[in-house]
This record gives sequence, structure tokens and C-alpha cells, in this order.
Amino acid sequence: MPSLLEVQRSMREQLLGALEPVSERIAIYRNTVLSTLVNALRLSYPAVQRIVGAEFFEGAARQFIPQHPPGSACLNEYGAQFAEFLAQFPPAATLTYVADVARLEWAVNRALHAPDLPALDVSRFECLSESALATVRFAPHPSLSLLPLKFPADAIWRAVLDQDGSAMAAVDLNSGPVFLQVERESYGVQVRRIPLSAWQFTAALVSGKPLFEAIGEGSQDPDSQISALLADHLTSGRFIDISWTGESPK
Amino acid sequence: MFDIATSSSTGSPIPAAAGIGLRFPHHQQVLETKPPAAWFEVHSENFFGGGTVRQTLLNIRHHYPISLHGVGLSLGSAQGLDTRHLARLAELVRIIEPGLVSEHLSWSVVGGEYLADLLPLPMTEEALAVVCRHVEQTQQALQRRVLIENPSTYLQFAHSSIPEWEFIAEVARRTGCGVLCDVNNLYVSADNHGWNAATYLESLPADAVGEIHLAGHAIRILEGDRTVRIDDHGSRVAAEVWRLYAQSLQRFGPKPTLIEWDTNIPTLDVLLDEAAHAAELIRQGFGADRAFAA
Repeated sequence: MPSLLEVQRSMREQLLGALEPVSERIAIYRNTVLSTLVNALRLSYPAVQRIVGAEFFEGAARQFIPQHPPGSACLNEYGAQFAEFLAQFPPAATLTYVADVARLEWAVNRALHAPDLPALDVSRFECLSESALATVRFAPHPSLSLLPLKFPADAIWRAVLDQDGSAMAAVDLNSGPVFLQVERESYGVQVRRIPLSAWQFTAALVSGKPLFEAIGEGSQDPDSQISALLADHLTSGRFIDISWTGESPK
Repeated sequence: MFDIATSSSTGSPIPAAAGIGLRFPHHQQVLETKPPAAWFEVHSENFFGGGTVRQTLLNIRHHYPISLHGVGLSLGSAQGLDTRHLARLAELVRIIEPGLVSEHLSWSVVGGEYLADLLPLPMTEEALAVVCRHVEQTQQALQRRVLIENPSTYLQFAHSSIPEWEFIAEVARRTGCGVLCDVNNLYVSADNHGWNAATYLESLPADAVGEIHLAGHAIRILEGDRTVRIDDHGSRVAAEVWRLYAQSLQRFGPKPTLIEWDTNIPTLDVLLDEAAHAAELIRQGFGADRAFAA
């Protein structure tokens, strides 16, 4: 008699393994699993689906799913690797910009579903000495993403979702990279292009670099207003916690 | 066994009346028009995140009792429960204070991968022990009783040794959990496997039944002209299922009853119409004339 674990491992292979023939009854389950996961990807990547078409999307998704099955039953969080999959997916090679649109849609999806967490309490800076301040690292709000994209994916994304043909026609794929800040605000998800220096500073903070190092990364622009930028980040709730090395708070 | 006496919900209790499975396309309409549904049930996992999605549920909760119905805890997983999933469910329960919390007699997770369906369990002593352990773990984590729903299944395991109805009754007996009797699932599985639906109903512990589900199903033709009924939640409740529902009410008494519809979701009016039919059956059975008691 097979153990429960043996039954479950065998069923997993039949549902997601290489497309070996399965019984009609197993196929009922396999159809449900695949269509549920394809639909989850459709909800997270609506613009990608419009660009490639529903049939192409489903074909790509059905190849993606067995390679990257969900690690959690929370399907709002499924599909993080889809953009990188599309970037390597030979049938999509001619659509050079589609992976960038997928990267943006994933950031938008993350922003939509991130947990509600209170902004960093700025009074926590009061107890820090000058030297400790230099080593402060910031924990970003999980809704915040900083994206460097080769193509103007934000313009494509808006034009595609609005079905705005003239906006789509106005997109110049050779206009150079865009630096995006994606986050959830009280009235919905915001996608903004921000200046390179501001992007570099913020991305360094998001990646966990200490404050003074992050300031160094954003300093190419002589006009950069780092302190104003940091104040804006804090009042906008883009960071939720700090940590530092060196001396303890006073 | 979980001590039911010490577990209670501070949110609105779910009445023995007809509710509707609430899906995203109807969220705004419900808030704007306050339709005459007695209560709503949502899929727990859809509200694990924050933002406007969860806020909408909190707003709806001000006007209606809410039941949380999980599809992903995977009580039958041989390798143990996903404790992060359980913690997120506990957090949602703490915030929403639902009238009922339910999960399925099935499994979905193996090797850390979520196979997005309610998959069938072999009905064995090993599976029974696993499910009971996980129901107890869940009731401890949530500090409340949960209901366990009978699944619809399309295959049976040759080594199953316990009838599904006895399996469910035994889980309820050992853990103190309640039973969510999905009458459509019961009809679908009984028809697919040649079980006697009346025997199934008779075997469930009436006192433990805390909720009933109703939904539509599809019929598919397999090779050799055999048919299989598939629980796709994509149509109105079948006439045979309404009849079985009436029998369930006679057996269990009036219970909170939910209309579920997940594929090709219709307008809210269609769901309200189905709920009105369920409400009528509850009223006929348990109105002033006490017809069922006679």
C-alpha cells in the first residue's frame, strides 16, 4: 500500500510533470490546476496578455507553470519569475520590450497586494548620533519597487491597458532607459519616472545600503536634493524600519 | 480535542439563512447597493494581502456577517501544514472576526509546491491521522473551531479503506471540528462513484454540521460513453441537488446555506435569485408550520 506522501508525489508528477499521458480522471484535475494558474497569471499580467494575444499567453504560461509552480496558495503572489521567463522565451524574442512590460506589471501587482504596514516613525532618528546616522539602513515598504528598464515600458503599459492607439504609436522604443518608482498610495498604485540620481539613491536604500553609501550613489547630479528626497520618502511611508551598527541609541 | 466552549467569535454570527459567495466583480456593487443577502463568504487567500482589496472586505463586513472559506491550507498534506500560511490565516481571522471559518477535506501542497486544486485523499487510517493532526493544529492557531468541507472527487484510490462519510464523521469526532456539508459535492461524488447519497447524509453528525454549500456542476462524457460530473461552480444549482438540499434540511435542521459560483460569474441578481430559492426551502421546512418536524 503506498504511503500518503508517495500518493501525493506521484500525483504531483502526473499534474505538473512532463506531459506524459495521464488517465482521463487525472486529466480533469490537471486541467483545473493549469487553468487556475493560467488565470492567476492573466490577472497579474493583463498588458502582456494584450500585447502577445490570449492564445500565445496561454501557451507561454503552460510552459512557465511546470518550471515555476507556486510556492504558496496565495495566488495573488504567483508569477514573480514570469518576466525573466519571457526574456528567455524564444517565441517572444522579437517582442524585445515585452519582458520589461512584465517586470513593470509584477511591480504593480506587488504594490496592489503588499501588506498594510505603518510608515517609519521619524522620531526614531532623534536618538541617533551623527556617526550612527551614517550607518543607518532602511527597510522598504513591501509595496515599493525601483525598476531600471531598457524600454519605455510605462508608456507601453498605459497605452495597452487604455487601448490607446495613438499613445502606442507615439512610443519610441529607442528613446533610452526609464527609471521607475512603483508604489501603492491611498488612491491606488502609482508608477512614476524619476530622475536617475534620485533613482540611484532610492534603489541603494531599498537594497539595504547604509545611508552615506546611498548618498554617494546618488551624487552624480550636482543639483540632487538628497535631504528633500529622503524627507519625501519618509513622509510618503516608503520605508518602515531602520537599523544601524555602532553605538546604541542614547 | 478542541474545547469549543472556550472558543467564540466576536464578529457577527452567520445566521441559518441564505448567503452568497462574494467574488471580486461584485465587491463595489455590494457596497453601493447593499443587496438583500443574509451573509457573504469569501476565499480567505484572496485577502492575505493589504491595500484596497482587504479594505473593501472590512467595509463590507460593517454591513454583513462574513464567513472565511479557505482553499489553500491543504489539511491533507503528508508533509505538514505550511505554518506561514496558517499564520496569515490567523492574522486575517483576527482582523475580520468572521462568523465561520472553513477548509476542505483535501490536499494541494507537496514538496513546497501548491497544486492549485482541491485534490483527493486516499481514505486510509494514515490520511485520517494526518487530517486530524492538522485540524487540531489549525484550531489551536486560530483559537476557534473550523468547519471541514466534503470534497467533490473524480477518482477513488484502490487502497482506500474508509468510506468518505465515516472519515468525515471521525475527523469531527476526534477533533471537535464542524462539518461544512457541500450538497453539490456530495451529489457529484455519489454519482461519480456510485455511492448512496442518503447513506452519506445519514452518516454525517447532524450536530456538527455548521454550514451547507450549494453550486452548479457540469457533466462531461468520458471514453466509452461514461459520464463524470465536475464541480465547476459555473451554473445554477441542479434540480437533483435542490432535492438533496431539501433532504439535508430535514436531516440537519435549518443551517447557513451558501450559493457558490466561480466560473463565468453571473450578475449579482442571478446569485440573489438562487439564494432566494434556498431561503424559501429553509422557510418551508422551518416556518411556523414546522413541516419538517411533523
